[in-house]
Amino acid sequence: MAEMWISMGPQHPMTHGLWTLKVKVDGETVVDTEPDLGYIHRGVEKICEARDFTQITTYCDRLCYASANTWSHSYIYAAEDLLEVEVPERAEYIRLMAIEIQRIASHLMWLGAYGPDIGNLSVMVWCLREREMMMDLLQELGGSRMHYNFPRVGGVKRDLPHGFAQRARAKLKLFLNRIQEYEALFDESTVFLVRSQGVGYAKPEEMVNHGVTGPNLRAGGVNYDIRWAHPYSVYSELDWEPPVERSSIKGADCYDRYRVRVEEMRVSASLALQALDKMPGGADTHHEPGDPMILAKAPARAPEGTTGAHHFEDSRGESMFYIAGGGESRGKQPYRVSIRSPIFITIPFAAKCMIGYKVADIPAIMGSFDPCIGETDR
Amino acid sequence: MIHMASGDWLNIVGWSESLTSWSMDNVHDILPSNDIDMQVTIPSTWAWPEPITMGPIFNLQQGFASIQPALESFMHATIMCTVVFTVMMLTMLAIPYIERKFIGRLMDRLGATTTMRSLWVGESGVTAGEWWKQLPFGMGIPIGWVVNLLNSYWGNSHELETVSRVNNRSYHGYWFLLPGFFQAFADFMKFATKEHIVPKNADKVVFETAPVIILATTIMVFAFVPFGPHIYAANPELSLLFMMAIFGVAPLGVFFAGWASNNKYTLIGGMRSAAQLTAYEIPLLITVLGVAVLSGSFNIIEIVDFQMGQNEGNVWNIFLLPLGAALFLITMIAEVERIPFDMPEAEAELVEGWWTEYGGIRWGLMFAAEYMRSYAACILFALFFLGGWEAPFQHTLAGLPIVGGTFETVFTVVPGLVWVLIKAWLLFAVFVWIRASLHRVRTDQILEFGWRYLLPLSVVNLVVATILRLEVWTGEPWDLWVPVALTLAALVLFVILAIDEDEEALEVQRRPYSTQAVVKASPGSHRD
Repeated sequence: MAEMWISMGPQHPMTHGLWTLKVKVDGETVVDTEPDLGYIHRGVEKICEARDFTQITTYCDRLCYASANTWSHSYIYAAEDLLEVEVPERAEYIRLMAIEIQRIASHLMWLGAYGPDIGNLSVMVWCLREREMMMDLLQELGGSRMHYNFPRVGGVKRDLPHGFAQRARAKLKLFLNRIQEYEALFDESTVFLVRSQGVGYAKPEEMVNHGVTGPNLRAGGVNYDIRWAHPYSVYSELDWEPPVERSSIKGADCYDRYRVRVEEMRVSASLALQALDKMPGGADTHHEPGDPMILAKAPARAPEGTTGAHHFEDSRGESMFYIAGGGESRGKQPYRVSIRSPIFITIPFAAKCMIGYKVADIPAIMGSFDPCIGETDR
Repeated sequence: MIHMASGDWLNIVGWSESLTSWSMDNVHDILPSNDIDMQVTIPSTWAWPEPITMGPIFNLQQGFASIQPALESFMHATIMCTVVFTVMMLTMLAIPYIERKFIGRLMDRLGATTTMRSLWVGESGVTAGEWWKQLPFGMGIPIGWVVNLLNSYWGNSHELETVSRVNNRSYHGYWFLLPGFFQAFADFMKFATKEHIVPKNADKVVFETAPVIILATTIMVFAFVPFGPHIYAANPELSLLFMMAIFGVAPLGVFFAGWASNNKYTLIGGMRSAAQLTAYEIPLLITVLGVAVLSGSFNIIEIVDFQMGQNEGNVWNIFLLPLGAALFLITMIAEVERIPFDMPEAEAELVEGWWTEYGGIRWGLMFAAEYMRSYAACILFALFFLGGWEAPFQHTLAGLPIVGGTFETVFTVVPGLVWVLIKAWLLFAVFVWIRASLHRVRTDQILEFGWRYLLPLSVVNLVVATILRLEVWTGEPWDLWVPVALTLAALVLFVILAIDEDEEALEVQRRPYSTQAVVKASPGSHRD
């Protein structure tokens, strides 16, 4: 058959969002690819220049619809770096727990979407069901179902509600049981193994050169987790270790990326449970909103010439905010906000990864990199 | 000893034959019995001196008698086609119902687990507990009363009801209305009222022909599928070959549809269908050949008779050819293009594959054809391997000392059609189960699977069937050790092959595939 270009997207089951992957195929074999991004560019960076530091949180929530909480926290740490705020320790523990619960929800969304990518719909229903538990927990904290707007500069919006700790422990333990079922459905299925093993090799050194981070990089054996390498928040106080896959000499395949995320869900659940246990003041107490235990006073204006930046381990990789303060002329607003999106950097690399594989491998490979277009186009 | 094949009271073929011959005889009788003189005489002219006499005297009754057999068989065939089509369509409504309900159960698994409400009941010993006890000053006590009261009345003790309500399932209805059953009708109405769109650049003739090919050949399969010993539209000597030949035509229609739509997705889908055809069709035919060899017939009804043991063997073929049954199941799933072999319509990469461009009633009919093929596959499995219209362990149960008489009555009263349908529906549930738990393989993988594993195994199955037929079978009922030994051997092999886990890996780690760090890092070790 002659070679032809197939346009997958912007509306296509493979894309997981609004983007186009142009694929040149020779029969069933992929010869060339070309990603086409930018369909939902909203100009978040520019919008942020006209908002004060608390209002920006809301926009950062909307950067990624699957992992809203991590993105707003990613911004908050940069803003605190800029405004030089000391965050109370209890607030840090609450944040850590909220971030890790959101990471579980995000990975569940990924696993749920990855099942239909290679033809199994039950996984989707199962994963969304468990994700619902996590979203219930986050809803109790933030008051909203998807975009929580939970962190504040200097702390968190609210303390844990009554009985939250008990429910969170129960749900997380239940979830730890449920992970074994996903493994039974995936790892013990030969069909899944032949579909994911040996497909979509990504060499670790190439990933480092391209700037790929997060679980995709750790699947290649590179032990680089920002929570671990540059501990922020209270990650260094807890007993944990980032999951890193021992990949083959050819690099990380789809199976490695799957394994790393499943292990990361375990680690996140354990982190959240530890945070509940070690929380100063105990997880069962409740402080009013604005209490100094959970929210420190923060200046509303940043002096001119000051900058704040923070590396943050998002569910999909290293997200980074760079904020430049504007001084008196800008009022309470920043001069410039710049966002580093991990998936914006990963998608071109992932598109190159699938050259040489079959058409049926396109969703398997692309899905294994966990694309999220909200943060990519921002 | 009951012989249901001959003793089944639901003898529709017999009724139809007697009805047509009776009505034809009546027609014969009301025709005038006297000779009709149709002689015409042309008087003589200058050209022919003698008058010419044309035409004989004929008798209407005699004339009718000469075409009566042809008319009778035509009417009989018409009646039986109508009956079989009706039975097929009515019973096939259960197929989408099973698909919908069973996959819903599989996906929900335990049901209510999504909300806090379900956590009051808990799962695996984990519950959220009585959170209201933590409210200060005993404020939570009334809440606890209310919650306990609600739980005792409408809590998950009434498991089914609550589970359904929590999952927003319309299960809490009257069970005898079969909630969700009539969804198939609603779907059909929707398809029937939709616009028919033909792509601008499509090859219009082929585009319109392909659904006809697919649907017509699918329905024709049922002409040779007996629903019971006396319910079939046609019963030629070589019905097995005829049916398998027609079963293989539909992938050609799929290829036509994919090519004619002039769309890249459909083209790849059609190509995949053609490639897949080469992988499963040959093992399927060789497997069926094994069944034919063992039964000594190419006729489906005789194959079932062989398993029922009127005066031959009386063991279902699944106990004699377990390998053949497994091969038939796998190749049939590939033939009807269900998960894990549904690459032609892989929705993840090809949107909907070869039927992307079809809509409205054409899409609906092709979808119905898809389910009809699944249904035909299930019925064929029941006929070839599960004894067709024989009740399970019929002879054993009827021979029991005290209750045997009751069983015998039941087997006499229940027509064979019921057993065929029950077996086919249960088998379709297996199809759904497979769909819910497996992923989709790749085209090159099914080709490899077909040629490297299915084809040699089907030949092995054929050899086993030949040996059984030529060397073991004597015309008497089978000795008990033959089916027992074969089934046990197959089960042992299955268990051995199913445990393919790496034991060394199990010893080292908890699970065979465990994630480990290459280099154990310590916090902050990457800090420059």
